[in-house]
Amino acid sequence: MRLVFNLSEKAVQSLPVAHEVERSAPDLRLGDIPLRQEVELVSIDLPADQAEPLLERGVLPGCRICPVRASPGGDPIVSVDGSLLAIRRETADCLCVRLLASLGDAG
Amino acid sequence: MSSHAASRGEADSSVLGAEGADRPLVALVGPPNSGKTTLFNRLTGLRQKVANYPGVTVEKHVGRVRIEGDGSLDLVDLPGVHGFSARTLDERVTKDVLEGRVEGIRAPDALVLIVDATRLENQLMLVEPVLELELPTLLVLNMSDELAARGGHIDDAALATRLGVDVVRTSARTGDGVESVREYLSAVRAVPGGAPPVERHLTNVKVGTSLPVVDAFAARRRLVREVVDEAGFIPPGPSALTERLDGFFLHKLWGPLIFLAVVLVVFQSIFTWAVPAMDAIDYLIVSSGDWLGETLPDTWFRSLVVDGVFAGVGSVVIFLPQILILFLFLGILEDSGYMARAAVIADRMMYRVGLQGRAFLPLLSGYACAVPAILAARTIDDERDRLATIFVTPFMTCSARLPVYALLIAAFIPDEPLLGPFVGRRAAVLLGLYGLGIGAAVGTAFLLKRTLLKAKPTSFLMELPPYRIPAPRTLALRLLDRSKIFLKRAGRIIFAVTIVLWTLTQFPRTEFGAPDIEESALGRIGQVIEPAIEPLGFDWRVGVGLVTSLAAREVIVGTLGTIYGVETADEDSLALQETLRRDLTTGSAIGLLVFFAFALQCMSTVAVMRRETAGWKWPMLQFGYMLLLGYTGAFVAVRIFG
Repeated sequence: MRLVFNLSEKAVQSLPVAHEVERSAPDLRLGDIPLRQEVELVSIDLPADQAEPLLERGVLPGCRICPVRASPGGDPIVSVDGSLLAIRRETADCLCVRLLASLGDAG
Repeated sequence: MSSHAASRGEADSSVLGAEGADRPLVALVGPPNSGKTTLFNRLTGLRQKVANYPGVTVEKHVGRVRIEGDGSLDLVDLPGVHGFSARTLDERVTKDVLEGRVEGIRAPDALVLIVDATRLENQLMLVEPVLELELPTLLVLNMSDELAARGGHIDDAALATRLGVDVVRTSARTGDGVESVREYLSAVRAVPGGAPPVERHLTNVKVGTSLPVVDAFAARRRLVREVVDEAGFIPPGPSALTERLDGFFLHKLWGPLIFLAVVLVVFQSIFTWAVPAMDAIDYLIVSSGDWLGETLPDTWFRSLVVDGVFAGVGSVVIFLPQILILFLFLGILEDSGYMARAAVIADRMMYRVGLQGRAFLPLLSGYACAVPAILAARTIDDERDRLATIFVTPFMTCSARLPVYALLIAAFIPDEPLLGPFVGRRAAVLLGLYGLGIGAAVGTAFLLKRTLLKAKPTSFLMELPPYRIPAPRTLALRLLDRSKIFLKRAGRIIFAVTIVLWTLTQFPRTEFGAPDIEESALGRIGQVIEPAIEPLGFDWRVGVGLVTSLAAREVIVGTLGTIYGVETADEDSLALQETLRRDLTTGSAIGLLVFFAFALQCMSTVAVMRRETAGWKWPMLQFGYMLLLGYTGAFVAVRIFG
């Protein structure tokens, strides 16, 4: 979580989409989502140079993202657009997400 | 600088220079893991060349495609990229080549954009920046067979209309549909003077990739969504095979165990499978050298060829079997999709010492030879991570250290059990030397990432491609490539260094020809550095060995043989072992072992480092650091064991 606070100030400037979408009440991060629950990405709390590789691979605010597996080291492997991406849990904790309405409060 | 650029550009001017200007140039673009290289190999076969782009470390693959009855055209295989944001070296080079801004390569006349059809939405993120170039473009939907097999669908005619490009389906692995790519290329060839630029109407996506970042990507994403919807894209069901295999390879318990097993098998094969081939090469070099020695008249020229060139270049060629086996394994691991999983498993460990998962591959390769290992580090996207990785790679116990270790251990360490009947004293020393290397690598990486290469923690992002059966053709071509690069790079420097060393043994001339080694320029150099190495218990003879082994570590074995006048000097030579025992104490011998574990006694590595970091700063720093560590380590070892 430390990472988030260090970087978020810069992140807000560089990623203007963050405030267009209303924040879901609890500040939910991808790292908190149980396996196999699809969520929607709300914003990326990372400086632009770290966010860009994610953006290029379709990890964009508004996209559906689903943690499908954890690596032996405990890092999430997520599915986006039919691709599998491995990220570090530190990165997952910088991705703000929202539960999909149809699933209600399953999380 | 211009001469550097010329030598780096290497010899493919015939493919791309002025004389090839009448042939059209087509660029092959696509994201990583889209089957781009497989298609390239299908189209060009053996008519391809690899070189570096001027001044950078990105490999340039250029090949010639023969078109039936209609001559040929040049095809350039660009690095796999997700976009042209110029964040990584690969992206920058791709962008520059496409815009015709790279020296020695014409602007392409047409493009072939290849994507993995099973992940169309993800892969088409590249389509907008590619179409913005307004060049004639063919969109290749690769792995179409897999898309259909997994219940997916795409209307390629609708896709072609929407994007204003030609669309074909292929399976580059089986070769299906490759003919239609060839037909397209033949149409490009038929247009004299190149096709006119194409005007395209992609609504509201005329945004640069610079600012604001998210808006540009979001717009691109919206376009992709529109396009695939209009083309009736139905994404395929999840790959059952990939899910099942990931459940195994990324399992909490099995995952790391399989990872370890893979490392051990690669490791073992480098050392055992390669031995017969290495012996054969050794025999060929020695016997052909002997034959030349008998055939040529006894002049300085014979000495240069036999003692200098044959012995020197032979000492590099002998590692070729190991390197081929290593690259065969790495190729299989990579093309099957396992390597990405291995990097994910390694990432947590690597992250702790300041490296990242992609560093696993170069470090593993470092056990064979640091030269290809440093080249393998190019896949590390973060520049600081890459520098830290190639800085510590030479600490891994490469196979050139083994002859030195074998000689000294056999001469000084008694062959007796240490821990039970299975772990002998000799094996323990060898393991300890491997451990020293790993320890130095970890410590150095840790130190570097807190000092010179300090940075905010970067994110590690690894795409896990679906598992696939590697194509033997692609593997074979890559092996051919790798061995050519290795022989060229290493051979060139060793060739130069051995000629210099040989010359130093030949002067000053006496009335009988070459001087005794003690009187030669090389012997005097050994005497000059003697005071510096005396605290380690080394005399001038070892000093000469240290100097000659700058060319390559194992050269010290032959040098000591020459100095002590032992005829057949190799690591099993009993005569050499006996002489050494008279001259060195056990403490000094262990000191020498420690010195070789740490010091960068390898000009090929220095040369490769200079290329890969585009300057002398890093190789010099690395050389000095490792020398200092070697000296200090030896000094301490002599005090402990002396």
